[in-house]
Amino acid sequence: MIEYLAFAAIFGLLLLGLHRKVIARVQTRPGPPVWQEILHALKFSFKSTWVPKTASATLYVGVVLVGIGIWSAALFIVLAGESILILFAIYMLHKVVEHGFGLSSGSPYGKFGGVRSVISAASEIPLFVTIAAIYLFTGSLLLSDITAYQAVHGPFLLIAPPVAIAMYLVILSKMPYGPFSIVESKELVSGYKTEHFGVWRAGISVIDGLKTFVLLYAFVAIFIGAVPFSLALVIMTVILVSLSFVCAVTPMLSPFDSVTIQGLITGAMLAYVGYLWWVMP
Amino acid sequence: MKRKTVSLGLAASAAVIVAAWGLLAAGLIPLWAAETAIVIAFPALVIFLGLWWRAPGGEEDIPFIGY
Repeated sequence: MIEYLAFAAIFGLLLLGLHRKVIARVQTRPGPPVWQEILHALKFSFKSTWVPKTASATLYVGVVLVGIGIWSAALFIVLAGESILILFAIYMLHKVVEHGFGLSSGSPYGKFGGVRSVISAASEIPLFVTIAAIYLFTGSLLLSDITAYQAVHGPFLLIAPPVAIAMYLVILSKMPYGPFSIVESKELVSGYKTEHFGVWRAGISVIDGLKTFVLLYAFVAIFIGAVPFSLALVIMTVILVSLSFVCAVTPMLSPFDSVTIQGLITGAMLAYVGYLWWVMP
Repeated sequence: MKRKTVSLGLAASAAVIVAAWGLLAAGLIPLWAAETAIVIAFPALVIFLGLWWRAPGGEEDIPFIGY
């Protein structure tokens, strides 16, 4: 099982490297090599490391451990075909982790990143709408039941495309350099990550790698269904490239606009689920 | 953190993962128990491994907190 974690972290970091490469090419820059994020993780792990004087040491170190732990658990949940409710509960815990990163260091940049993480909670609400819509069709939230339903009725991507779009936007909100990436925008240096350096930052890279892999793999399982693992990896890469195009051509929104747009999307999704609930037998 | 403490932490987390792997392969523990052990030990392994091979030096500092 440790091999699953290692593979997911490395493949996720490769996807994030590809993300940077595609954004750069769209913007007519050469961009870093695809394996740059893996090199980053290794580089940070070899650097001098300490805890800043202003930091709350327990929280400062603890959030790194919790972050890796929750996404490791999320990977096992997805691979085992367990409930997406647990998966999305873990996703919500990541919000607490981001907040903890920002507040633990004592740096104002980190704190602002943590505060922005809280105000951007609107980006998570479409997740609940996704869960509700899928339950209306399947009557179950087990990933194994959802894939079984799709084996009979076809992929949810075609059955309920607005729900897939909502989940796509949730993943987009977690991608770096995207329109909703206000928690780590450049006016805050690196946002909530600013004061986590050295080994702690390498830990954040592992979190990012696992998170990217789990979210994309969950998207494939929930909206396309059970496919061979190698095909799932290809589909995940295609989805990521589409996200990279969106990030490359979209400016980062101001925090207020980001939350407003996410709120409007949530409202539209609630209306769609209400419509489904009304028309479905 | 002292080098000895880091080495012990690294060895302990690696031992938990190997034990969970071995016990699962032998059918002595269920899958969820092995996964729980790995979810707890894997973050510690990552951090202790980094601390074990990090560059020496560096003291506590105060980050830039504004003018």
